[in-house]
Amino acid sequence: MRGVASALLGVENEVNLLDMEASIEHLARGTPGGVDCMLVVVEPYYRAMETAGRIVPLARELGIGRVLGIANKLRDGEDARAIRDYCAAKGLELAIEIPFDEAVRAADRRGRALIDEAPDSATARAVAELARQLH
Amino acid sequence: MRIAVAGKGGAGKTTISATLARTLARSGKRVLAIDGDPNPNLGTALGVDPEVLRDPPRVPRNAADEVVDDAGRKQRVLKPEFKDFRAEYAVTAPDGVMLVHMTRVDHAGTG
Repeated sequence: MRGVASALLGVENEVNLLDMEASIEHLARGTPGGVDCMLVVVEPYYRAMETAGRIVPLARELGIGRVLGIANKLRDGEDARAIRDYCAAKGLELAIEIPFDEAVRAADRRGRALIDEAPDSATARAVAELARQLH
Repeated sequence: MRIAVAGKGGAGKTTISATLARTLARSGKRVLAIDGDPNPNLGTALGVDPEVLRDPPRVPRNAADEVVDDAGRKQRVLKPEFKDFRAEYAVTAPDGVMLVHMTRVDHAGTG
């Protein structure tokens, strides 16, 4: 199954985007070999940061040139500082910082796409900025 | 461009993946979104009709071959007979995003 995800990621196309499963063991086995960019989503909680801290060196070992952090669900300046400090310590560049966003939960509850439900939400706007950075 | 989105479960990978896929598609890119989660929900986050997602087509587990590239690294590639996988397995999401699902790993005694 993981081999199939990796193969699909490699097909000829303009943009292929893999939403990876939560566990990182497949990273250790080298699934996303031909990835140009890995986005590592980090919440300001110790365990989420710890997970990110394990992903980053594995991604680098795989030779992924661009590894970018995405700080998510930040409730205040302290959250932002915690993630910035952690990422700085790990040498992970933060691409965007997304505040805690009620619009995400609301869209989730309704089973709808955020970009349809709340195109002007902080999350949708931050991701638009991310898309510009990726170009 | 090949993008992988990683992170701890619940951190927001799927919402960010879906929103990024739709945003890139709106800017004119041809986007293939791959739900790598055994319990898939990228389709919902992309805005696909729930009816379509009730039992979506899944790319078979044997669709990939392992090859070794020039640098001696093992890579996975789709078998030639799956060249047209989009026609058979992809679900179309809004803004023209193509979405594919993996085959579930079934565990005995669950579900």
